[in-house]
Amino acid sequence: MEPVSALSRRLVRVSAVIERDLKKFRRNPVIIAMSLLMPVIYLVILGNSFQGKLIGLPVVVVNQDPGPAARALVDNLRAVQTGPRTLLLSFATDERAAVGEVRSGRYKAALIIPADFSHKVALRTRPTLGLFLDNTDGISMQTLRGVVEGAIGALGVDYVPVREPHDRALLRDVNLFPSVDYYQSLVPGVVIMAIFLGTLTTGVFNVVMDRFLGTEEAYLLTPLTKTDIVGGLVISGLSVTSLVAVLVLMLGMLISGIAAPGSLSQVAAILVVILLTTLSLISLMFVLLGRADHPRIVGVLSGFLNVILFFPSGAVYPLASLPGWLKQLAWVNPEAYAVDALKAVLFKDAGLSQVAGDLGFLVLFASVTMGIAILLLKRRL
Amino acid sequence: MSADPVAVRVEGLSKRFGSLTAVDAVSFQVDSGELFGFLGPNGAGKTTLVRMLTTLVRPSGGRACVAGFDVMQEATQVRRHIGVIPQAMTSDLDLTGYENMDIYARFYGVSARERKARIETLLETVGLSGRARELVATYSGGMRRRLEIARVLVHRPAVLFLDEPTIGLDPQSRRIVWDLLRQIRRDDEMTLFLTTHYMEEAEALCGRVAIIDAGRIVTLDSPERLKRQLPGNDLISLTLAAPPEEDLLAALQALPFVYRLHAEDEVLGVYVEAGPMNLAGLMEATRAAGGRVLSAAIHEQSLEDVFIHYTGKSIREEEAKKVSLLLGAGMPRRWNR
Repeated sequence: MEPVSALSRRLVRVSAVIERDLKKFRRNPVIIAMSLLMPVIYLVILGNSFQGKLIGLPVVVVNQDPGPAARALVDNLRAVQTGPRTLLLSFATDERAAVGEVRSGRYKAALIIPADFSHKVALRTRPTLGLFLDNTDGISMQTLRGVVEGAIGALGVDYVPVREPHDRALLRDVNLFPSVDYYQSLVPGVVIMAIFLGTLTTGVFNVVMDRFLGTEEAYLLTPLTKTDIVGGLVISGLSVTSLVAVLVLMLGMLISGIAAPGSLSQVAAILVVILLTTLSLISLMFVLLGRADHPRIVGVLSGFLNVILFFPSGAVYPLASLPGWLKQLAWVNPEAYAVDALKAVLFKDAGLSQVAGDLGFLVLFASVTMGIAILLLKRRL
Repeated sequence: MSADPVAVRVEGLSKRFGSLTAVDAVSFQVDSGELFGFLGPNGAGKTTLVRMLTTLVRPSGGRACVAGFDVMQEATQVRRHIGVIPQAMTSDLDLTGYENMDIYARFYGVSARERKARIETLLETVGLSGRARELVATYSGGMRRRLEIARVLVHRPAVLFLDEPTIGLDPQSRRIVWDLLRQIRRDDEMTLFLTTHYMEEAEALCGRVAIIDAGRIVTLDSPERLKRQLPGNDLISLTLAAPPEEDLLAALQALPFVYRLHAEDEVLGVYVEAGPMNLAGLMEATRAAGGRVLSAAIHEQSLEDVFIHYTGKSIREEEAKKVSLLLGAGMPRRWNR
């Protein structure tokens, strides 16, 4: 048989695998809606649950000093309350009751200004304040400590100097890129999340479902090869998932106010990153779930995989601060490369050439995992 | 179609799952154009045997060639030349009948032009033309089975395997499927290989039947010859006025043409040689021994009796334990090994 007709027959087979999958997906509008909505809701929830800055931390102040320094300190704290809204101040007179309410969880801290505070400030004899902290909440504790220290430090400054003193070193910030707020910085992670969710409900999931429902048997009886099956399902999963990812990205950019990419190279870079990430994750799922025979296994694995891939990806927290062993996980984590590339393109005006390293890793990862996936797939029962 | 006059050649084929031997050194041959049946209770090894012949399960020993190709060495060639209807329903519920057939045909590389005409003809044959554009989820079990029969013919297989093709179907749908299978064999000169635990099905359809029990073929011949070989190949049932006494049973058993008998209340079942000839003698002997016959009927023996003769147990009894579990489409395959 001549090679041309063998190839065209393969194309007919693969196209049938693709069409079957796409038709089934299209007839499930709930899944399409969910795969679009879930990542966007995720963005909103994540963006609002751990914000970059904390706000509204309840603090009780017990001021036993009628002097000017104490008044100035309270004013400084009030300024924080109205400005960055880090604090939510309450005032009390009973020191012990105030500390008790920190213990009971009503306040995150109690600040006690002793009666001799202003006196000692005036005499410059090391005034002391009591800050009773709920140290079980590490993040709030650090922030509160910083805010109170700032308020104390500002006590001596009565005026804004017109001219910097010549003897002090001057630090000038130079922003290399347009500023990115916390909400915006989450968008790349959310797109990766959309891809992750998509690759769980397309690709290998169809094999698992066919196996579970017993329809796989009819597949295995046909002349379809392993490459036909994996190839077809990868192509259909790739098209559906990357389309969803592009839509999620557009929604995310709209919601968080990220400017549209300025050049064609950037648009191309975004599309290539999304396609390669999807390909990598679809192939990974084939390796992990290629022999699963119950959808419950997919469910159990998805929660676990989501955590171990998403958190060491740099999507919410910088990779540099991870411990060594976790950094090693990040080195082989396709999501980490995807986040890095997407952040570069969206926030640093990078084009294809600047993210070539990330893309190279994704190409390598996808080829290796897809090879393993084809080897692992069973062609018999 | 394959020119080989032998459609299925099996030599010493075995399958073991751990310590369980599901198929035990089975050998047989099916000629091209035959309608060949495997009859036996569930768990006898029928499904495993079909799965080995259709490349789904690797044999533990022995050899099998289907449509001229070795099921181990030339699995892809075998797959190209056979059609299989597995026991469970395998059509896609969220595709239409037409889509199911079209996609399946493309798995075999059937060209677009050929596909359309072939699918329409086949849908017409199975009586589903009117429902072809509806989702299979809306079909009844019988319609779904008919669709699967049409689907499996779309690439003109040389050998068609059917594993319990009418399990779970109502009597009317079963009859429709039977007619379809007869029509296929007649019109397409196809070799049909079916497994069943319904005696009527094997009798109604198969030219030759292999009776299988516990992984072994206990006997193999045409249903007619299998029944004729039985000693006492007719069953006469006598309804008496009162349950028979021991003396009466002993007197009847002593008759030269009586093979064996069993009594259930007033009804007496007597297995005899040449029923119509010996009916008068039997009734006379009953009357002489003090029995009063209210009515008599002659039944020809069935394959069930052949099965009982060779295995000492009844397929129906074997089935009563299992079949209720086996209905429906969504059964995981590990249940029906």
